[in-house]
Amino acid sequence: MERLEIIDLHASVDGISILRGVNLSIKKGESLALLGPNGHGKSTLLGLIMGNPRFHLDGGKIILDGEDITNLGPDERSKRGLFLAMQNPSEIPGLNSADFLKAAMNAHRGKPLTLFEFYRKMEAAYKEMGIPLEMSKRNLNEGFSGGEKKRNEILQMLLLDPSLAMLDEIDSGLDVDAINVVAKAINEAAAKGTSFLVVSHYARLYRMLKPTRAAIMVNGRIAVDGDPSLIERVDREGYEWIKRELGIEIEKEIAPSMNQVSIGVCATKEAIDNGK
Amino acid sequence: MENSSVRRIDYFGAIPNTLDLTVGAGERLLVRFLPKVAFSDVRYRFQVGENASIEVVFADVIGHSGHFESEILLEGEGSSAQWFLSSFASSGDKKSFAPSVIHLAPNTTAKVESYGVATGESRLDFSGVSEIRKYARKSKTRQTAKVIVFDPKSDGRSAPMLKIGDNDVEASHAAVVGRLNEDHLYYLESRGIPRDEARRLIALGYLLPVASRFEERERKFVEETIMGGLFHD
Repeated sequence: MERLEIIDLHASVDGISILRGVNLSIKKGESLALLGPNGHGKSTLLGLIMGNPRFHLDGGKIILDGEDITNLGPDERSKRGLFLAMQNPSEIPGLNSADFLKAAMNAHRGKPLTLFEFYRKMEAAYKEMGIPLEMSKRNLNEGFSGGEKKRNEILQMLLLDPSLAMLDEIDSGLDVDAINVVAKAINEAAAKGTSFLVVSHYARLYRMLKPTRAAIMVNGRIAVDGDPSLIERVDREGYEWIKRELGIEIEKEIAPSMNQVSIGVCATKEAIDNGK
Repeated sequence: MENSSVRRIDYFGAIPNTLDLTVGAGERLLVRFLPKVAFSDVRYRFQVGENASIEVVFADVIGHSGHFESEILLEGEGSSAQWFLSSFASSGDKKSFAPSVIHLAPNTTAKVESYGVATGESRLDFSGVSEIRKYARKSKTRQTAKVIVFDPKSDGRSAPMLKIGDNDVEASHAAVVGRLNEDHLYYLESRGIPRDEARRLIALGYLLPVASRFEERERKFVEETIMGGLFHD
């Protein structure tokens, strides 16, 4: 991917307008931190870029390397190099994880992997993510803990090798050790040229990932697009200064909650660390 | 069931319309059905003696309409039964299955598991009774019947019944009919898997646990038949 452009994107969920004219671009090699209060459209934007049919597109375009992908299905977007690590990954009853990974990897290739090639790649990815290989025999995400699901998302990212990876609160549900593993995998992918669009509420993750840019989403639009120093400012001051300095009144949550099972372990750990 | 001392009967291809089998005291029987031609009205009865056990495996994946009824009578003390069904209905199929188990003696156990997928304009109906008669104390019975409905015009019913005539028993049942979860499809598609393939994986995930009780050749038949049915719809 050379460039992803979001042009005047409007979208709604169940008749509620969530995105109200989003303009944003991401270039190759960039790592963009997307911040914003809860319920202001960050997850909706990521889902819409990936093609989630739950969101209704009301206007605007998504352009990937000059191609209008606004109306493409999620599978075609994935094949063009987009990846979304989801906030609440689905549990699929009966679908063996290894069978799923093989189907996903083969979907990205002209010629299917041999069993030996697949097994070697899968084994390496499980090892890198610190997940026992035994987990590959279990049904996809079924009965996984919150942390296991998040690691499993990054494992899929490693195996599919996208050019733009979007991470939606990948740090929620992860303990400190798991965050280190996940951050290492992300940084290695970034070093190889993968671009990132990262949503998190915690500066801790961003300090580990060192984004090259940061943007703040308020009321379904990008209110601020600037350098990574925005992350520390939000961590220190919250979002009140946006109203003060930019005159933008921050509405109450406009998007339905996507965060039904997420737990912010990072914040708890940080509070404990600081208390020592 | 261990293979060594198990009597095995396989019906692959045409299956009989009626069947009356007895499992003698201490005997172990495995009966597997994989119909490859249509059946319309089938009624089976299995009588299970003291400390005997029966396992029935039924993989119904071909396109047809029909009614299936079976009755497993746990007549001998300590006898047990396991029933596993996968049914795939496509196009305009109308299928109904009513597997029943009757506990007539003490210390008997039964597990009935039926899984179904309905696509196109098909209809799939699961019923059947798990009954524990009076004096069949210390018996345990469990019945699960789940149907997943793939398309707007497909229909699924799941209404198994429990009848309990003794207090000193354990019984449970689960009956579920659910639509194909769009979030599941989206999740698989977001990993590059085309929609048809995603539907196939979800359907197979639902039905293959039963198919895995067959050998490779039969499993392949099940998988290919389901794939054909999905793409036909």
